[in-house]
Amino acid sequence: MNDNILEIENLHVRFSTFDGLFSAVNNVSLNLGYNESIGIIGESGCGKSTLAFTVMRYLATNAQVEGAIRFKGINLLENSEKEMESVRGNRIAMVFQNPYSSLNPSLTIGFQLDEVGMHHQKLSKSQARKATIEALEMMNLGDPKGIVRRYPHQVSGGIQQRICIAMALLCKPDLMILDEPTTALDVTTEAVILDSIAELRDTLKMSMIYISHDIGVINKVSENIVVMYSGEIVESGPKKQIFENPVHPYTRALINCMPRGGVVKEKTKLNTIAGYVKRRGVDEGGCPFADRCDKKNDTCISKYGTKKIGEHHYAACDRAYAEDIPDKLKVRITPIARKKDPDFDSERDLLKVEDLHKIYGNKRKVYAVNGIEFSVKPHSILGIVGESGCGKSTTGHMISGLFPPSKGRIIFGDTDISIGWNKRDKETLKNIQLIFQNPGRSLNPSHTVEKIIGRTMQKLANINNAKERREKIIDILRKVDLGKEYLEKKPRQLSGGEQQRVAIARSLSISPSLIVCDEPTSALDVSVQASVLNLLNDLQVDTHVAYLFISHDLNVINYLSDYIMVMYAGKIAEYGKRDEVMENSHHPYTEALLSAVPEVDPTKQKDIIELEGMLPDPAKKIKGCPFAGRCHKQVGEICVKEYPPMVQLTEDHYYFCHIKP
Amino acid sequence: MKRLMEMFLRRLGSLLATLVVMSFVIFLLVEIMPGDVAQMILGQSATEEAVAALREARGLNDPLLERYGRWISGVVVGDLGDSIYMQGVSINSILWRKVGHSIILAMTAFIIFVPLSIFFGVLAGVKEKKPTDSIISFFGLATMALPEFVSGVILITVFAVQLKWFPIVSVIPIGESIWQNLNIVVLPALSITLVMFGYISRMQRSSMISVMNSDYIRAATLKGMPRRYVIFRHALKNAMLPTITIIGMNMGWLFGGLVVVETLFGFPGMGSLLMTAIKTRDVPLIEACVLLITVIYSVSTMITDIMYSYLNPRIRYQGGQK
Repeated sequence: MNDNILEIENLHVRFSTFDGLFSAVNNVSLNLGYNESIGIIGESGCGKSTLAFTVMRYLATNAQVEGAIRFKGINLLENSEKEMESVRGNRIAMVFQNPYSSLNPSLTIGFQLDEVGMHHQKLSKSQARKATIEALEMMNLGDPKGIVRRYPHQVSGGIQQRICIAMALLCKPDLMILDEPTTALDVTTEAVILDSIAELRDTLKMSMIYISHDIGVINKVSENIVVMYSGEIVESGPKKQIFENPVHPYTRALINCMPRGGVVKEKTKLNTIAGYVKRRGVDEGGCPFADRCDKKNDTCISKYGTKKIGEHHYAACDRAYAEDIPDKLKVRITPIARKKDPDFDSERDLLKVEDLHKIYGNKRKVYAVNGIEFSVKPHSILGIVGESGCGKSTTGHMISGLFPPSKGRIIFGDTDISIGWNKRDKETLKNIQLIFQNPGRSLNPSHTVEKIIGRTMQKLANINNAKERREKIIDILRKVDLGKEYLEKKPRQLSGGEQQRVAIARSLSISPSLIVCDEPTSALDVSVQASVLNLLNDLQVDTHVAYLFISHDLNVINYLSDYIMVMYAGKIAEYGKRDEVMENSHHPYTEALLSAVPEVDPTKQKDIIELEGMLPDPAKKIKGCPFAGRCHKQVGEICVKEYPPMVQLTEDHYYFCHIKP
Repeated sequence: MKRLMEMFLRRLGSLLATLVVMSFVIFLLVEIMPGDVAQMILGQSATEEAVAALREARGLNDPLLERYGRWISGVVVGDLGDSIYMQGVSINSILWRKVGHSIILAMTAFIIFVPLSIFFGVLAGVKEKKPTDSIISFFGLATMALPEFVSGVILITVFAVQLKWFPIVSVIPIGESIWQNLNIVVLPALSITLVMFGYISRMQRSSMISVMNSDYIRAATLKGMPRRYVIFRHALKNAMLPTITIIGMNMGWLFGGLVVVETLFGFPGMGSLLMTAIKTRDVPLIEACVLLITVIYSVSTMITDIMYSYLNPRIRYQGGQK
């Protein structure tokens, strides 16, 4: 017997498709000790999830698996399906990315948890229910007796995920595999869940594989990191060493892609990785990262093999700091000199919003936005941040005219535009553009890129000459780093990043003065996100357009914005210049939000302010401070009874709270 | 439960509204059909005076709305009027007997095809892309492609002409009721089964496949639940929802629109009655039949909706909240 609970040896997973055989996991060897936790990181398409599902022996029928996966000495690949059933959920449990779809909508939560105990431990119904309640209590869920009677859709996403984790805990498994369990959740919820996962490891002494694309998240739950690229492990080792001294170019590039604390647009350009993860055929040799690598030389096509770098630190390549090729990363971008526009009049607001309200529904009302006032200065970027359901998207959609506000005024330049798009004049429509979160769904799949961009120009900018239009489109495509060859392509032939570039090109093609960006990067991989953020920044410097940038990701907002507005439950919590809000935040919610953002640097650990509970019921009008129910600094009755006054700190920085600075 | 009741009442309201509108449309349609009722009754050789007199006597010259009012107020109290072709016979005395026959036929068909197609649909879905699936899918497609008057003829040739198990024509001898002649129901019911099987089993197959590929089935499997348990406990209920809608949508057709099947087998049901009524321009009878079919359609759709929301907790507990 050895001291590893899981040993993966030379694992290959291949899928045979119509296009031939391709390799999803390639020659992966990995050891996981008892009570050890490793984090697997990589972009989508890197084989992280395939690896996890191979361990669970849950693969599509076209998969071919080679190698060995030894769990406590037994090769899982040789187990019968029946034997696997007694391992799954019992000795190895798994938690998935999307809790909402991972729970059966037509069965009660209690039923879905009970069956695990009844099946694996042959418990009676009442014993199983007792175990269920215990597991739910372990996840710090209040009122477990009430929860078991409910259906999955009746609880929030964060609670659903905690239920899923409780379900995985029922049989006290030896190994738990978590596949991006917090990716679909808000940061504050994520913080709570990560905290309870770390706590569970201490109490239950189980081993863990944590899959994520976010180094910050992995830092919180694992000591060791495995970096995967295109189905291969490119680097593995203790998190501190990997972060401070990444030796594989991919690891280094990946870490530098991530917008994080202290990285802002004026100082640094985000690192990007050209290209995207390609599917690899079976007999392609050499380094999988070679085609995207800044540091590649002639040897990369053939030379390959894992090297020991330090104790427990291995990497498939150590060219991250190779000196035969100039280092792009070291070249700090000199601060971009912000061109002054002669017409620039910083005193006049480009957009002014007064007492804006949005109430959805007739009979059952949902108060989405409850009276907010702010303004957007020309040529500036206002970042709106907040958890899902805080009304940030609704605000953006009202400004772009997708629907009219229920109450209040939106003033753009000199015109009142608090009306729907169908009542706005062409000039306004042209001047305010919108970029959506999911480019794949916001581009018409049956139109070519030329038509997608050209149609906007034709309709709103009256450019009717096809030849002239084509020239302009080529021009605008060049601005978003896409070549002429993209003109004839259709959205599905493009990668996610390219699609978003086309969407950006479309909105820029008619030179608007304000673009509402609704989570434009949250559906993208970090490396692609970095390139889109760089692009948005460059374009803004070039064209002097203003952005209303909506995101749930504080790091992204911090990187790009000039001003930040924090929203909570349809109200403004805090507003100010970026540095004022980020470094000198005053609203308790802003503090909590900032503390919840996972730190990319493992040496920097901070105390998390845990927010329990949920957003207040949007169907009710709130008299007091909307954040009162979750606030860690509540001062008393007044918080619930009276809406807090505005506290003005500087000319641009204010917040709404009963606590004075 | 309160919401379910509320929904039921709301649906009932809209059902009544539909029926009122439909009754007027039916009345209008029959009105613009060519041919004069009075002429029809009296025959081609009748004098013009006689026709005019009859028109006057039957109130056919009254304004449209007045005639509609007269008809609909009769319908409301259950008086469907008299047949024109079979003079003096009240529609109530013919229609309900035929409706009874049709219901027996529909129920028989229903009992055969619903479990059959759901079972094979589920089986095909679970065995996706395997030989079992191919065979079931092929059979389903083949029966779907054959119209009922072709598959019906095949059934008659095989079971009635060759094997002589069932009568060729579904007639009830005078003086006997359908209960003494239940064997006449079998062939028409099989014919309906052939029409519905492909349709419903394919529907069930595709919804089963999409459910089996869903995240919660993956989660259940990776909890270590045996496959059979996963299929029956986790997948089936969700996979049945779309099928129930489809079956419900076809109930109206099944209970009232079997014109082709009934005519083919000479089955004495509502379909063949409607056919006769149209052939003989029996206006009140057409109106009565079509109105009844409308009622059956609307009611069965309503029942389906209620059943769907009962089976789906997301609707049951949440209503239409976005």
